[in-house]
Amino acid sequence: MDALDYSTQVRERFERPDNAGRLLGRAVTGAAGDEALGTRVEFDFRIRGDTVEKGVFRAYGCPHAIAAASWVAEAAEGRSLSDTSWLDPLSLASLLEVPDYKLGVLLVVQDALEDAASQLQRNED
Amino acid sequence: MICAKNIIYLDYAATTPVDDRVAAVMCECMTRDGVFANPASRSHQLGRDAQGRVEMARREVARLLGANHTEVIWTSGATESDNLALKGVAHAFRDRGRHIVTSRTEHKAVLDTARQLEREGFEVTYLLPGDAGRVTPEQVREALRDDTLLVSVMHVNNETGVISDVSSIGRVCRERGVLFHVDAAQSAGKLPLDVNRMHVDLMSVSGHKIYGPKGIGALFVRSGAASRLEPIIHGGGHERGMRSGTLPTHQIVGMGEAFRIAREEAAEEAERLKMLRDRLWEGISRLGGVMLNGHPQARIPGILNVSFEGVEGESLLFALRELAVSSGSACTSATREASYVLRALGRSDQLAQSSIRFSIGRYTTAEELDRAVAIVSDQVHRLRGLAPKNVVRGERQAS
Repeated sequence: MDALDYSTQVRERFERPDNAGRLLGRAVTGAAGDEALGTRVEFDFRIRGDTVEKGVFRAYGCPHAIAAASWVAEAAEGRSLSDTSWLDPLSLASLLEVPDYKLGVLLVVQDALEDAASQLQRNED
Repeated sequence: MICAKNIIYLDYAATTPVDDRVAAVMCECMTRDGVFANPASRSHQLGRDAQGRVEMARREVARLLGANHTEVIWTSGATESDNLALKGVAHAFRDRGRHIVTSRTEHKAVLDTARQLEREGFEVTYLLPGDAGRVTPEQVREALRDDTLLVSVMHVNNETGVISDVSSIGRVCRERGVLFHVDAAQSAGKLPLDVNRMHVDLMSVSGHKIYGPKGIGALFVRSGAASRLEPIIHGGGHERGMRSGTLPTHQIVGMGEAFRIAREEAAEEAERLKMLRDRLWEGISRLGGVMLNGHPQARIPGILNVSFEGVEGESLLFALRELAVSSGSACTSATREASYVLRALGRSDQLAQSSIRFSIGRYTTAEELDRAVAIVSDQVHRLRGLAPKNVVRGERQAS
């Protein structure tokens, strides 16, 4: 895939990321990355019981970063935030057609999700 | 107006469309009823006709540069001209010295050639321009050594449009008896040139940057001191032995016509482009969090290089795909690395990556620019809205 050549799903999520933003009220937040290095991702999750009721994201990064953050925020809904093993960066790369040299971007997204899980754990402790 | 595929063309510094008047004269030199013969075939009239057209074009190029027509060598473009200038001098005069001076913000055609000469044993000093992007004559003077063969400084930077004071640098070189090369690919046809007043010994120019065809360029080689360049292409002895190969009559004639038009129309065109560029900057700067890259005054009207705070470069470029613009220079933008020119001017990686070069030209209209401003504003607002709040807030505080 050439530079600036993105899959349909990446294009759609980049153009219309319906779940971008910030949650008002109590939310579990996770963050990773550094804008100075090109990628920064943040999640807000509203938890009801043991599961994520609503997930939103904010992202500074390439279209793959924005699309992956959007996908993860959405995919987390209905799942337990205590277990993040469902997110496999390689599978996500395949799903979104992210080129190999961009795998680091997906690891930042994964780190942000795991940071949210850690935050939840700290809140429960 | 150029609006192919609903894309507004704002990449004139990368290349320009061929002017209709240029295309017309080129067409006269290709088919069997035209001037198609080999200009080197002086044994018959058809060849001499082609030679006549080539020489007329040579005079047009020379006239724009303030040179004598015998000092113009045809090449395949500015990259080859730069190669011939640097390697030609280095190889011809290696017994006199091994040192070359240039700057870190030169085009890759100069920088990569300098690197090659380093591999061959030459020493190169790379001057770092100030944050306005200009190399000063004092920097050049300090860098000169007894064994310096050549100084190579571009007239107008291809990414920022910043104009260097080549006349003053040329005077320093002349005083010290050092040859001076100027890459004028971005200034020919846009700024007044005079190789004598500028004390230039070698000057690279290109056809396709000023509405001529691609694949043709020229090197001005001053008679006397610099006229013994070692060729980099051998065979046939064309162009006084400095650049062999059958001359492409149609391209040469096209370049000559492009230079003629530029000579007659450049001043008026520059005024119009300046108004358009100011209109574009006024619209974009209303966004806030934008930074002009390069010297605010000493720059050509056709280029506006801007960094956008709080947006990532690749996303910005993709979001602006209705505009044909460059991120960094077109020659390096395929790699998505931060522009080495902007990094050399002190911009952070982040700001260098989020830079866009808008370059306007003969067919740009105010309506196109108004639409471009609207697109840029919408997309930058949208991307900033997606970014973590601390990123946007932090960048805005910095602006």
